[in-house]
Amino acid sequence: MLTYFRNIGQGILTIVNSMAVASRHLFKPSVTLQYPKEKWAMPERSRMRLHNKVEDCIGCGQCARTCPTDCILVKTEKRGKEEPPVFAADGTAKKLRTYVFDIDMALCCYCGLCTFACPTQCLVMTGDYEYSVYSIDEHIYHFAKEKPLIPAGSKEQSPSKG
Amino acid sequence: MEVNYSGDIMTLNMGPQHPSTHGVLRLELKTDGEIVADAIPHIGYLHRCFEKHVENVDYAGVVPFTDRMDYCAAMNMELGYVLAVEKLMGIEVNERTRYLRIIMAELGRIASHLIAAGTYGNDIGSFTPFLWCFRDREDILDFFEETCGARLLYNYNCIGGLTQDIKPGLEDKILKFLDRFEPEVDNLNRLLSDNFIFIKRTADVGILSPEKAISYGVTGPNLRGSGVRFDVRKDEPYLGYEEFDFDVQVGKGEHGRLGSCWDRYMVRIREVLESCKIVRQAIAKLSPGDVRENVPKRIKPPKGEVYMRTECPRGELGYYIVSDGSPKPYRLKVKSPCFTVMSAFRDMCKGTMIADVISILGSIDIVLGEIDR
Repeated sequence: MLTYFRNIGQGILTIVNSMAVASRHLFKPSVTLQYPKEKWAMPERSRMRLHNKVEDCIGCGQCARTCPTDCILVKTEKRGKEEPPVFAADGTAKKLRTYVFDIDMALCCYCGLCTFACPTQCLVMTGDYEYSVYSIDEHIYHFAKEKPLIPAGSKEQSPSKG
Repeated sequence: MEVNYSGDIMTLNMGPQHPSTHGVLRLELKTDGEIVADAIPHIGYLHRCFEKHVENVDYAGVVPFTDRMDYCAAMNMELGYVLAVEKLMGIEVNERTRYLRIIMAELGRIASHLIAAGTYGNDIGSFTPFLWCFRDREDILDFFEETCGARLLYNYNCIGGLTQDIKPGLEDKILKFLDRFEPEVDNLNRLLSDNFIFIKRTADVGILSPEKAISYGVTGPNLRGSGVRFDVRKDEPYLGYEEFDFDVQVGKGEHGRLGSCWDRYMVRIREVLESCKIVRQAIAKLSPGDVRENVPKRIKPPKGEVYMRTECPRGELGYYIVSDGSPKPYRLKVKSPCFTVMSAFRDMCKGTMIADVISILGSIDIVLGEIDR
């Protein structure tokens, strides 16, 4: 009988003790933000949506080879000899014409390995995280702007897709 | 514990959607009234074919997949893998990389133990510590996000170094955080660890004796909670842990018998403070250098096999890699600490009450992503 009451007493004592610790936080400012109205500032190195500055892309396909989930599809063809030479912003000659550069963001695992592999630093991960869409097909981003000259028989640079 | 069952056994399913099962785990409980006669864990709901899948991915591409095994301590998961590949290839990393890896791994350990303590309190019925632990963990995740750009799945370690150096000034931020955080552990103790109701629910429950723990192959805080002084960081140092001054915390059986749920919980709380000590020492030792100095251009390990074990927050994590000289692993086997403790779980549950099953399950701190892989 005595232990019964002692247990109740001890229980109340520890609860009062915890309440003393917890009640101090009543007077502290809250740490949460009301999301759609207020937003955190994203850090500079945030790894979210991929973006390719296709003007600087030389079409080497290294990003597609490093990607662990095979979410990048690159198709290129050689430029003709009589065509005027094209250069990327850092002076690298663009010997290949990139006519397909698709990234399936629904497959992307946001590891960032492709951005480390990119020799011209044109493939970057941006801090943009609000890009939900209604259809999963809209998650495939088409970056290439140029059109192929020879449509048939062109070589694929990336692993084939199933 | 010897219990005479009445013979009227009822089967009760706990999970897979039970919030206290820390993931997707189904427990098949054979109950006699309120007493649990047997608890059979059914795992595999989160099976993602990790080991088979990585045989088709090159060595560098495996790192993001190791992150996804134990998503509460992804930094420690990938550390174990890159150390295994470096051992296979014979790469020595420079000092700055070593110390940065230790800082990040120990911060990851603090974050993981905070989840363990917070969710354990939540399981037992105390909600406040859960929020406090998550608030402090958020600061650590902010450091990680600032360093590598991701909050949970870091992909920060790469074979031969780190993907990026830390931003200047992060050391001071971490030190400032530790100054604020260490007194918070006392608050957590007052709020949860020394709470009479919490002790009643956890002490003398789910006893795992030292002999049994060793024979089941239990590692990590669960083993140390049973009073066995074993820590891979001390007993088989990797990454230069032998230079650091820290204690291996073991359960002492303050409340009831040794190896109870409370002992396992308390080992984690004490380990958090030890990790703070290691982080402080590592920051003091940090010297300038290039973290990508030893990163090989092509990762193509020689033929051979390697086993590397590291101490991750949940115990001893082992990677066994067989290489056939190609750029993809021939076989990769993971020795998961949660999987081994799951085998001891059945023994711990026998003869306890149904409510104690939740206590025991929370105290062994499993992550189902790592068990099922």
